[in-house]
Amino acid sequence: MTEIGLGHYVTVGAILFVLGVFGIFLNRKNVITILMAIELILLAVNVNLVAFSTAMSDLVGQVFAMFVLTVAAAEVAIGLAILVVFFRNRATIAVEDISSLKG
Amino acid sequence: MSPASLPNFVPAVPEIFLAAAAMALLMLGVLQRAVAVGEQVRISRVVTWMSVLALLLAILLASAVTGTRIATFGGMFVNDGFALFFKVLALLATALSLVISMGYLERHDIARFEYAVLYLFAAVGMMMMVSANDLISLYVGLELQSLALYVVAAFQRDDSRSTEAGLKYFVLSALASGFILYGSSLVYGFTGTTNFDVIARALDGTPVLGVVFGLVFVLAGLAFKVSAAPFHMWTPDVYEGAPTPVTAFFSVAPKIAALGLLLRVVTGPFGDLVQQWQQVIWIASVLSMVIGAFAAISQRNIKRLMAYSSIGHIGYALIGLAAGSRDGLESVLIYMAIYITMNLGTFAAILCMRRSDRMVEGIDDLAGLSKSHPVLAAAFALMMFSMAGIPPLAGFFGKLYVFKAAITAEFYGLAVIGVLTSVVAAFYYLRIVKVIYFDNLTDALDRAVPKNLTFVLLGTSAAILLFFLWPDPLLASSQSAVASLLGG
Amino acid sequence: MIIEAVTFYILATVAVFAGVMVVASRNPVHSVLFLVLAFINVAGLFILMGAEFLGLILVVVYVGAVAVLFMFVIMMLNLDFRELRRGFLKYAPLGAAVGIVLLAEILIVLGGWSIAPEGGQRFAAAPIPDGLTNTDALGRLLYTDYIYLFQAAGLILLVAMIGAIVLTHRSREGVRRQRISDQLRVRKEERVEVRKVPTGRGI
Repeated sequence: MTEIGLGHYVTVGAILFVLGVFGIFLNRKNVITILMAIELILLAVNVNLVAFSTAMSDLVGQVFAMFVLTVAAAEVAIGLAILVVFFRNRATIAVEDISSLKG
Repeated sequence: MSPASLPNFVPAVPEIFLAAAAMALLMLGVLQRAVAVGEQVRISRVVTWMSVLALLLAILLASAVTGTRIATFGGMFVNDGFALFFKVLALLATALSLVISMGYLERHDIARFEYAVLYLFAAVGMMMMVSANDLISLYVGLELQSLALYVVAAFQRDDSRSTEAGLKYFVLSALASGFILYGSSLVYGFTGTTNFDVIARALDGTPVLGVVFGLVFVLAGLAFKVSAAPFHMWTPDVYEGAPTPVTAFFSVAPKIAALGLLLRVVTGPFGDLVQQWQQVIWIASVLSMVIGAFAAISQRNIKRLMAYSSIGHIGYALIGLAAGSRDGLESVLIYMAIYITMNLGTFAAILCMRRSDRMVEGIDDLAGLSKSHPVLAAAFALMMFSMAGIPPLAGFFGKLYVFKAAITAEFYGLAVIGVLTSVVAAFYYLRIVKVIYFDNLTDALDRAVPKNLTFVLLGTSAAILLFFLWPDPLLASSQSAVASLLGG
Repeated sequence: MIIEAVTFYILATVAVFAGVMVVASRNPVHSVLFLVLAFINVAGLFILMGAEFLGLILVVVYVGAVAVLFMFVIMMLNLDFRELRRGFLKYAPLGAAVGIVLLAEILIVLGGWSIAPEGGQRFAAAPIPDGLTNTDALGRLLYTDYIYLFQAAGLILLVAMIGAIVLTHRSREGVRRQRISDQLRVRKEERVEVRKVPTGRGI
């Protein structure tokens, strides 16, 4: 238990990933929490990448993690922008209202 | 670590050109002072036409630089005949989508030059996707495309349906990207590399469970991007809600790029795991065909119907991939080329559906179209016959090659399900023809059909109608594309 | 060793707890704060693993930009939080069951890693160099071997910028703006008028 290795880190990654997926299904009405759950998924991916990278002493994983970080930031900006225009039209952010398109 | 020598830029010249063109057009649009409303429309028109020109030039450049397979940028980017085939299709589809969007944007007061610029960036992303030779470049290309698509889906920002479509597409697509990434991280962890060629080398021998698991995650994410069942839920809502020309674009260009990426991923790095991915593709193919056929029957909205139709068509295309043979892959390429032609034609026709200058989307609104617009009605019916797979139209040949490949590879079950579901699908395509020709004219659509739509409609109709006279160019290019993908 | 283990367990536990609270807390503002907590703890884990540059970048980008953006939007949209919570518990048991199964599967798969290390090192494309700091080593890779992706990431950020502006920017009517070029172009004649004023009469 005192020897901290790859297994410990990827477990944290796996838990965060599952929490993110779980959060999306749990908060089906609340888009802003869904966006945060997506951030958790990307964080889990980064934990995985960095853990594998240091375990194999190969920097590629860290470079990958950096691109994931960059893209995630861009994605959040777009996601929140779409959320804002959606709110302007609807005065709500609840996703279940989104089912107005079902037919 | 010495400073690396300069990479070979030549294979990436089309991408670099298109990215530079997009930025130049962005500057052109921004620096023009659009004070009056009319001025904004004029700038948008200029930028759009120049974007179409840039896309056509990029096609020329792409055809000029491709010869043999060249990998550059440290093996992250590869240019070969396969990439060329998909780039030409994706760029053509983007250009034609831009051509058919123009009138619509102006009429809905959303003619802004950023629209065309975003299309160009999406096209750059698509080119990067089909040329990706590394998990990181796969992800970056995919996201460049997706980010541009999220914005154009919500482009009609004062319309709640459009923003809703954008939001829905964003949330589910970001989730799919998360799956692809988690899968990529597993593949990286268990093979120690992100490069496709090296992954292929690392995987010969017994498959490691972790890699298989990662592959399943990646496939699930990619299935979402091509809207194959069971990851198709977003398609009907987004297709219905997004502005119609954007729907037309979504149904062709991103789909072809994602499919190209899917083909490269499963045949390249994971070529040795064929038994594992074949099952996944088999299931996705059957589910897509069944859902595409049955869920479409009850639809009343033509854009929603087209969404289910596109799910079904992806199912047919995946038959060829599930077959796994060289013939199968060629049939996928042929099918997709025909599919985008039919879809662009159909959407050009849908964009003509206006009544007192407002878009109508109900199938019943087509009633009696043959009396008010004989030419449009004939073209529309032609597209529907082709989608249903009636010989001698192109759609029939697309299905024929796919089924033939499945039978040669002894996937009889897939072929039988394919034929059965096409019969069901034929029902709803032919129902539209019936509405057009035999239902009574209630309220005629607007007479004027814009020139750009006529051009696309007639061009695609001619291609669909006359394909059987001259199929060789498509067959030959798909053959050489697959040959270069499989290395020889 | 012990110190590393203790640090790991503290950081990991807090990160997971914060992750749970992000998806489970009743108020989105709390969710954002827990998201910040999760990011900071994961940044600590990164530093523990020896990826100190990424750890600090995580703090700068996420805590500094992303979390603030979230906070901004939540404050800007006047939300009814209670409305958003309805139906929360309906999916919870099913979701938890699926989540636990998925987690177990992933852990079983990851448990098989121990066989791979030799395989991993065989293909390592960029071994971590000795005698360089993590930042230095990453920088040397990023601007040389990964220049293609670096540029592509730049395009992505550009698209994000265009997108955010296209979607949310509105030009308002009747706003007075400073036009520096107009101010510079002003001549004396336009602003100053010299009049001879005769004594005893107005202008």
